[in-house]
Amino acid sequence: MERYANGDDAAFGALYDAIAPRLLGFLSKATRDAAATEDLLQQTFLQMHRARGSFIRGAPVMPWALAIAKGVMIDSARRRRLEFGLFRHASAGDEPREYELAATTATADDVLDARRLGERVQQQFDALPETQRSAYRLVKLEGLSLKGAAQVLGISVTAVKLRMHRAYVALRGALREAVEP
Amino acid sequence: MSPEIKGRVLAVVGAEPSPTRTAVNLRNTLLNMLAGVGGMGAFVVFALFMSDSQLLRLGGQVSPQQHLDRSIWLVATTAGGALGVAATAVWLALWRGRSMLGRSRRSLLYGSALIPISLFAWKVICSLAFGYPMMAWPERPGLKCLALSLLIAIGPLLAFLAVRRKAPVRPALNGASMGIAAGACAWVAVDLWCPVASVPHLLLGHVLPLCILAAVGAVLGDAFLSVRSHHR
Repeated sequence: MERYANGDDAAFGALYDAIAPRLLGFLSKATRDAAATEDLLQQTFLQMHRARGSFIRGAPVMPWALAIAKGVMIDSARRRRLEFGLFRHASAGDEPREYELAATTATADDVLDARRLGERVQQQFDALPETQRSAYRLVKLEGLSLKGAAQVLGISVTAVKLRMHRAYVALRGALREAVEP
Repeated sequence: MSPEIKGRVLAVVGAEPSPTRTAVNLRNTLLNMLAGVGGMGAFVVFALFMSDSQLLRLGGQVSPQQHLDRSIWLVATTAGGALGVAATAVWLALWRGRSMLGRSRRSLLYGSALIPISLFAWKVICSLAFGYPMMAWPERPGLKCLALSLLIAIGPLLAFLAVRRKAPVRPALNGASMGIAAGACAWVAVDLWCPVASVPHLLLGHVLPLCILAAVGAVLGDAFLSVRSHHR
């Protein structure tokens, strides 16, 4: 990013390779729509490109990129009046989910149980408020620190912890319900 | 990662020129200079036009109370302290430290709230310490100071917004903070010109503009600093 901010246009490719996978993961998990994800990724990079001259020396890039991605995503959803609907449109036949991959060597019953459990947890996760899902996603799936997630979300570290805790409680409850007969 | 997506992103980005760090630094310096000149110009024009001699020439009346002299030490102390607070306000609004995401919500909120309180308290404390009369001036409720403050501050506020350009998080709060900073700069200039130290006058003519500028800054910040997607 330093080289790119100083005017080295060729450095953009390296910047893209370094952060695009995480941005793509973040956006695709939030939108569950491949076309929308690609569009939002493009717009995120465009915003970064426009702001490259004001990049602070030595500043971490990823929280900034994620904050832009989040802003672009929310604005896009607002524009389409699908602020909440966009996140709930989980299209069938998307990329294979983790529980399916993990269950490939198990018995048919195990696969079925794992699938049910995964679906139950996924439903519960989808039913969480967006505020809790964002906090969970940034910390657990994107690997950001609590402070980094707080910066991206524009809230305090305590608020991130609280949202994470609430998400945990809800998911734990869903797991318990699914496991207990 | 699909190379097609990368190709498309590179094509879109390559088609749009963007300023480099050197260009942005130059532009920001020019903007700040322009804002300073604009603010000072507004102050000079307003102060000349509204001076006692000018008012008399235009047929207006000047109250004897308006000739109340302030000691140079009072003016220097008051304006010096206000200048320090204004510098802090500008630092708070524009300096982002080592993060592209800027200051925390708490810093911006508390900072923005403390700036007007500090300016007001400093003015009152200085007046009391120098034994300056804080009597009411019915013929000067503070409307001139209100207008002058807004006139001086609008240039710096626009310049601050242009310098920052984008705030991915808390755009409205950042805008409000810039409004307060611009108002604090205007406070210093108005303080040099205005001899009135009564509390109602200070609240209407000096503190209210800061609140108005904070609100305007918040609206402009939300409109211009926030990250917007665009669809072609």
